[in-house]
Amino acid sequence: MNDTSLNRIVLILRKEWLELRQQRGLIFGTLLPPLIFALLPIVLAYLAGHTSLTSTTRSSLSPTPTATPGVNPSLAGLPGAELGQAIVGQQFSILLLLVPVIIPSVIASYSIIGEKTSGTLEPLLATPVRTWELLLAKMLTSVIPAVAITWLVGLIFTLGMALTALSSRVFIAIISPGWIAALILCTPLLALIVVAATVAVSSRVSDPRSAQQISATMILPIMLIFFGQITGLLVLSPFIALIAALLLALIALLALWLTTRIFQREAILTRWS
Amino acid sequence: MNAIETIELTRTFGQRAAVEDLTLTIPSGKVFGFLGPNGAGKTTTVRMLAALIAPTRGTATVAGHHLGPDDSAIRRSVGLLTEAPGMYGRLTALQNLLFFAGLYGVSEPRAREQAERYLTMLDLWERRDDKVASFSKGMRQKLAIARALLHEPEIVFFDEPTAGLDPEAARTVRDFIKELRSEGRTIFLTTHNLPEADELCDLIGIFRTKLLRVDSPANLRSSLFGRGTIVRVAGDAAPWTGAARALPFVHGVSTQNGALSVTLDDPDRQNPLLVQALVQAGAPIQYIEPMSHSLEDVYLELLEGKLPTTTPTDLSADPGDVKL
Repeated sequence: MNDTSLNRIVLILRKEWLELRQQRGLIFGTLLPPLIFALLPIVLAYLAGHTSLTSTTRSSLSPTPTATPGVNPSLAGLPGAELGQAIVGQQFSILLLLVPVIIPSVIASYSIIGEKTSGTLEPLLATPVRTWELLLAKMLTSVIPAVAITWLVGLIFTLGMALTALSSRVFIAIISPGWIAALILCTPLLALIVVAATVAVSSRVSDPRSAQQISATMILPIMLIFFGQITGLLVLSPFIALIAALLLALIALLALWLTTRIFQREAILTRWS
Repeated sequence: MNAIETIELTRTFGQRAAVEDLTLTIPSGKVFGFLGPNGAGKTTTVRMLAALIAPTRGTATVAGHHLGPDDSAIRRSVGLLTEAPGMYGRLTALQNLLFFAGLYGVSEPRAREQAERYLTMLDLWERRDDKVASFSKGMRQKLAIARALLHEPEIVFFDEPTAGLDPEAARTVRDFIKELRSEGRTIFLTTHNLPEADELCDLIGIFRTKLLRVDSPANLRSSLFGRGTIVRVAGDAAPWTGAARALPFVHGVSTQNGALSVTLDDPDRQNPLLVQALVQAGAPIQYIEPMSHSLEDVYLELLEGKLPTTTPTDLSADPGDVKL
């Protein structure tokens, strides 16, 4: 990548973020779910560990609190209050992985469909900007804040758990090496896949909400991990996180390849509806 | 030097040909008007020449660069005003211009100078810090024109620059195009506004999937219908048609609104003889004037297939300017 390409990518990024800053409603709507995902588990984990919850309340936080320790070694032998706190923390830690799916789908759909509806794609494509530069800038517009916010939320969650965990075992059970690996390795890949899917969908629809709804199907794999964790069928170990990252990398490569085929100057001008 | 040269440029979408065998040469520094009905393939032609879409076959050279291998150089050398202005409504006018100037590789200090120059010329400088969302259609259009010129392109494509504008804004845009013409810039103007094309263009191409005719506006008006003279007489003109028709150089005579409409080869040389013959016959001549046809007449006749679609070999008004 030469300086000219880099300049153009930075220029587009600056323009995109300048436009995003003007959309306060969109920013608020995008940042609210991650904030809830970060703060709610801290509050619940605190309550689970520091208030005299009834067994019924605890069981409502986890469907099978007694069965899980048999499957998840990190929870084996934990006393009642610590077990409740660890289960709450683990379940919400998986939900945090939804953040890189939610944020980029919102930003990317507005970023690309916004160009379509405002008629700016043609003058943009008439400049010497290369299509890969434009595509990369558009993707980074969404991926960078998504990954940054996810990691920030992960940090807040980690600090919150450090403050509220009843013991270091509880903390390690929640902020496990597997979860850290997933957070670092999988979230950028998830964000990339979602943006690629949004670009593909955006070529066919003219409403950002439609693009978001279709891209929202990317939530499904995360929900599978979530339910796997709840039922005890899946324990997020570093090995599982690595396998997931490799799988996601393959999907991301495929998605990028497909996106570069869709995002062609001529196709955008003649075939994008 | 020629700004644009195309040879059998063709673009098809599936089985449908949008542009077929377009062979055209436009010299540098000319304003070329590209006229044709909706769906004629004008925008497709502009998109091909601006290196936005590739031709199915044929070749073209734009600003000395070959379409295809030199697409990037072509995009740097041309400015394009698209059919819709397409500006970022949440950004100010100046932010919009600086962004696009940056994409064309214009440094920021230079881009600011250029933005000031063109916004001032187009009466928008005072509104530079206003968000484009608050602009009227005319203001957006003028801003888009400024955007097309920031990088000082050799060739500017204007696609319907005055469409939908109020008369005052349209006048500003037309005056601006005249100013660009006086700077010697090549302008490729697509328009439905025939009087505007007549006023602005050095050359006009009439197009419907294929190029039907290319010539200067004056030549188009005269050569297609023939030249002639209107002779107004006191009273009924019909009795004097015989005297005119008897002259060997007269190709046709008709009466219109109490006047004789006489078709001639060379009015400048033959008018004195015509007047002499009519006076000798006793015609009470009040005054004479050149026969004129509007560009609209030519345009409609060509599209309806009533006129030949070949360009005359003798382009006496500007020989060598346009080849078909």
